[in-house]
Amino acid sequence: MSIKTKFSSRLSLYIVGFSALLLIAVMLLYGMFARSAIQNEAQENTEKVLDNTILEIEKVITEVERAVDNVDWLVMRNLGDEKFLYEITREVVLANPNIIGSAIAFEPGYYKGKPYFAPYTFTNAETGTTRSFQMGSEQYDYPVLDWYQIPKLLDRPYWSEPYFDEGGGFQRMSTYSMPLRDAEGRFVGVITADISLEWLSHKVATLKPYEHSYTMLIGRNGTYIAHPDSSKVLNETIFSGQMISMDEQAIAQARDMLSGGRNFISYKYQGQGRFTLYGPLSNGWCLAMMCFYSDLYKVLSIMNWIMLSILILGMTVLFLGSRRIIRYETKPIEDFSRAALSIAGGDFQTHIPEVKTEDELRDLRDSLSFMVRSINDYMERLKSTTAAKERYESELGIARDIQMSLLPTDFPQIEGLQLCALVHPAREVGGDLYDFHINDNTLYFAVGDVSGKGVPASLFMAITRAALRFVGAMGMNMADVMSRVNDTLCDGNDAELFVTLFIARLNLETGEMTYCNAGHNPIVLLPPDGKAEFLHARPNLAAGLFPGFPYQEESITITPGTSLCLYTDGVTEAERDDKRQYGEERLLEWMSSQPGDRSSAALVASLLESLTAFTEGAEQNDDITIMTIRWK
Amino acid sequence: MNVTINEEGSKALVTLEGRLDTTNADQFQKDITPLMTGSHQEIDVDCTGMEYTSSQGLRMFLMLQKTVSARGAKLVLKNMKPQVKEVFDITGFSHIITIV
Repeated sequence: MSIKTKFSSRLSLYIVGFSALLLIAVMLLYGMFARSAIQNEAQENTEKVLDNTILEIEKVITEVERAVDNVDWLVMRNLGDEKFLYEITREVVLANPNIIGSAIAFEPGYYKGKPYFAPYTFTNAETGTTRSFQMGSEQYDYPVLDWYQIPKLLDRPYWSEPYFDEGGGFQRMSTYSMPLRDAEGRFVGVITADISLEWLSHKVATLKPYEHSYTMLIGRNGTYIAHPDSSKVLNETIFSGQMISMDEQAIAQARDMLSGGRNFISYKYQGQGRFTLYGPLSNGWCLAMMCFYSDLYKVLSIMNWIMLSILILGMTVLFLGSRRIIRYETKPIEDFSRAALSIAGGDFQTHIPEVKTEDELRDLRDSLSFMVRSINDYMERLKSTTAAKERYESELGIARDIQMSLLPTDFPQIEGLQLCALVHPAREVGGDLYDFHINDNTLYFAVGDVSGKGVPASLFMAITRAALRFVGAMGMNMADVMSRVNDTLCDGNDAELFVTLFIARLNLETGEMTYCNAGHNPIVLLPPDGKAEFLHARPNLAAGLFPGFPYQEESITITPGTSLCLYTDGVTEAERDDKRQYGEERLLEWMSSQPGDRSSAALVASLLESLTAFTEGAEQNDDITIMTIRWK
Repeated sequence: MNVTINEEGSKALVTLEGRLDTTNADQFQKDITPLMTGSHQEIDVDCTGMEYTSSQGLRMFLMLQKTVSARGAKLVLKNMKPQVKEVFDITGFSHIITIV
């Protein structure tokens, strides 16, 4: 269960991780596009606001200019009527709500006996009362002021730079002045209209396209005419202010502002992304709007947080959902696992859960069920094979018993003769044999080795042994016995098996030994003097190969106390793992090392020990036969 | 046991290498089948690399000898190592198989 949980969780995590990466990438892209779209829109928006505001201010300015222009002729026609002049200023102020004051200021001395003559009407914004008076005096020497002097010098209407009027209005204002000329073209004075900067400031201050943005009105020489920080108005210029850092580019921008340029600048100041849009008014002023990108992106940022929350929520839901789906979809795997475990436990009847879908799980189910069927079949086969094998083994066991019983074990223990022998087949049954019997004070003995091993060899061994017994009983000499045995074995030997055979007859009185060798390993003699040697014997030919082969026998007389050792090639060719063989030399050495009085049984045991020591436990790969005889 | 058979007309040149024992006698029998079923008139077997033969191996040589003789051809074993030759001598196989 825990493994499955991990699997579904892991897979879900992969899915969620991948989806999250994808969505974050989408969000980032969206953010980029959204920002750029918002910037473009903001620019358009502020441009519109700026244009509208400029239009509005222009409208006021135009109205003021027109009001003054309209009364020009009236003044010139009624120069002599002082009272009427007051009326005109009064009329200008009352007829135009944007005009707070109006003056007709004459050249000093234009009126005889009046160094200063300037009828002035002014509306107090606080009280709303309108007052007319003559404002020129020695304290208020208006001919030297800008609003009087500059239009006079330029000989054209002029908007003064904003100033604080101390003569009449006692507030911040800007004055439009138009020069007056008489019929002769002489300059007689100016007619003016004042507009309140408070009004402009208010107008500009309410101009906030975005929460933190603000708008400024800048005069021709860079003085702030309107600014959200009213202490700056008339006191500071854009060059002295902290509006933008004054590098070369900023100075160029400021100059552009003052020379009637229009521009949209995007920049960073004090770690904040900002943009400024400015444009000129017809009288040379400049309206500039400062905006902060953070205001624009506020909505975007809120949107981002909302999207992030939705993303996290969505991913959590996706994770839980996909984990559940994967768990549900992979449930058959868990069932299979349980079924496989049960099958592994030996229950081949275990029901493998059905799968209705046509997919890999179905394949897995089919494979699993096929596997179970195969295992079942295999088990059945194995059962019958095992039964057959057990039968063979039991039969082989019986065959072994029969074969072993063919080898006599009633070793003679008589005066002057000891004989001991054994056969160790490499498998259950083998092709080695020995035989002996005593008749008429004569010992007949034989050792043989059928080619090959196992059952075929064992059958041939039995035939050989039977032939030997049958022919040996005929009382012939050794060569004849061998020839008859050979003929018998050749008869019907389609399998081309053969047997090497050594047969001998030992006169227990005289020690005369007659023997015939059919291709067998030379036997070892250990005379009483203690030097072992091979018995010379002509090999003739192994028996069972060629019928009618002329076998020849030989004779030797052994001295009393001599031991004989007969063996098969399982002894001399006994191998250890490095493929080295026991060999004839080692056999001779072993035999020589034996004490002269050693019993034949002890000799057999000693040779077996020597072989075991040599082979170091390597697997025996050929039948081993040893027969030892000690005479007298 | 590696068996290499090169044919030169009606002559077969055979090279034997390694040990011939009960574990590979069956394979050896398969390897020399072309020589038994073939029609070579002369079969030269180079035994330089042959290390050992068991009695089952002798049986294979015997079968080969008999088949070859039956079709009137000649089998010659050459360059046999002394310890291998000894097995052929002891069993008397040297009498029925030509060893030079």
